[in-house]
Amino acid sequence: MDITLIQALLIGLWTAACYSGMLWGIYTNRAIFLAFGVGVILGDIPTALQVGAIAELAFMGFGVGAGGTVPPNPIGPGIIGTLMAITNPSITPESALALSMPFAVAIQFLQTAIYTVRAGAPESANRALDNQNFKGFKFHANLTLVLFAVVGFFLGFLGAFSMDFLTQLVGYIPQQLLTGLNVAGGMLPAIGFAMILSVMVKKELIPFVILGYVLAAYLKLPVIGIALVASIFAVQQYNAANNPATAGANTEVGNDDWI
Amino acid sequence: MTGSNKLTKKDYLKTTLRSYYLQNGFNYSNYQGLGYALVMYPALRKIHVNDTDFAAALKDNTEFYNTNPQLLPFITSLHMVMAEEGTPEAEIRGIKMALMGPLAGIGDSLSQFAIAPLFSTIFASLAMEGVTIAPVLFLLVINIVLFSIRYTMGHYGHKVGTSIIDKLSEKMEVISNAANIIGVTVIAGLAATFVKMNVKIAFAAGEIQEGVNQSTVNIQALLDKVAPALLPMLYTGLMYYLIKKKGWNTYKLVLLTVVLGIGLSFLGILG
Repeated sequence: MDITLIQALLIGLWTAACYSGMLWGIYTNRAIFLAFGVGVILGDIPTALQVGAIAELAFMGFGVGAGGTVPPNPIGPGIIGTLMAITNPSITPESALALSMPFAVAIQFLQTAIYTVRAGAPESANRALDNQNFKGFKFHANLTLVLFAVVGFFLGFLGAFSMDFLTQLVGYIPQQLLTGLNVAGGMLPAIGFAMILSVMVKKELIPFVILGYVLAAYLKLPVIGIALVASIFAVQQYNAANNPATAGANTEVGNDDWI
Repeated sequence: MTGSNKLTKKDYLKTTLRSYYLQNGFNYSNYQGLGYALVMYPALRKIHVNDTDFAAALKDNTEFYNTNPQLLPFITSLHMVMAEEGTPEAEIRGIKMALMGPLAGIGDSLSQFAIAPLFSTIFASLAMEGVTIAPVLFLLVINIVLFSIRYTMGHYGHKVGTSIIDKLSEKMEVISNAANIIGVTVIAGLAATFVKMNVKIAFAAGEIQEGVNQSTVNIQALLDKVAPALLPMLYTGLMYYLIKKKGWNTYKLVLLTVVLGIGLSFLGILG
């Protein structure tokens, strides 16, 4: 399908809004939400949801870690990947994820560049304060947000606008390589899950890795079911930690909060 | 410091809402420093009547800052209480800086490792099942929860003051341990469900005989009988090992995965 100029502009604005929303911590810059907007604008929500959901899970673990570190950006699969999958029916959601990885990494560098360019901001802001120029201070204190919106707009707009060209490029990729990318796309979520596990897992928690595996692989429980089973153990542990050594001994109504 | 203007409940609420601006000026020299001053702008304006004092107060608050945005209202409310009481600038600064680290740790483990993955997985699974509205619900639900946290934090900072911090971090450890149990279980389950690796190899069972219908052994079917989703789990384990023990970064992991995916598919092993 072709993308009209209006649609490209709308995708630009959508990306701008979602990307700058990231600085506000309102979770707009997530693959599932970015993809949803592209689906609405192009009138193909089902495909958008497939790409968005796979990418959301794959990217879930990215971005964890110390504050201020920049992870690969969900705009890669959420905007570019979704555009690819919608405009080109031969691209599966998995290969869209793999094909958009380079964009996610490129945007990550772009974001680091914005933060680095803005490293002079505190000096400018303080100079404005020395002159009691409060408007100037506000300008410098908001400029990162503005830059995010501008960069987001161009990413979305150019991505949509050049999709014809990108589709053509993808057309040159041999079928065998596309199949390979599809396989790689199926494996990519492992990185995200391992990332997030690497900050959460302690030795005592290894049994719960096995529990999760058994519930999902053998018992085929859906996610919410797994979470509920795990919460039994979580609540038990919470209670045990809150009244140590009183188990059984104390019959007094100690923690009625739970009832 | 002259507390000439009394701060009202409305001023506290306003500053809590302004916590969303914390990263509007994010940069690699003072991180959230500019944002902190921006969040405190109206409150400081009210406290410092004359322009010289106000400019100096803003400048005092542009130094390096980096904490979890969701918990920031606790710090700013506390800051306002102290400023109003005429606490010396150095003491306010000391407390502000002392809270930065612990609240970053508590907040990050709460929002990044508990709330975000939880809602992310629930609504992504709903989206996969074709629930059109799932992405909108995701945004709505996560923001209601996060806003409640910001609001409560701002309220507590105003009411209780510094005494709560020790209690909170003690409680927080218990809560985050419990949350980690759910998190680890769910993520292991997700790895088993959503990492896809299928062995394509199938070979003839027994000797090949002319004219006899050959039965084949499909390795994937065999694997599924013994341990379903074994390869996805092992691959996730390998990634975990490379991150934890070898310190690999994302690029290297992505590169390895793409190369392996293409290579193994090319050799006809995975498909």
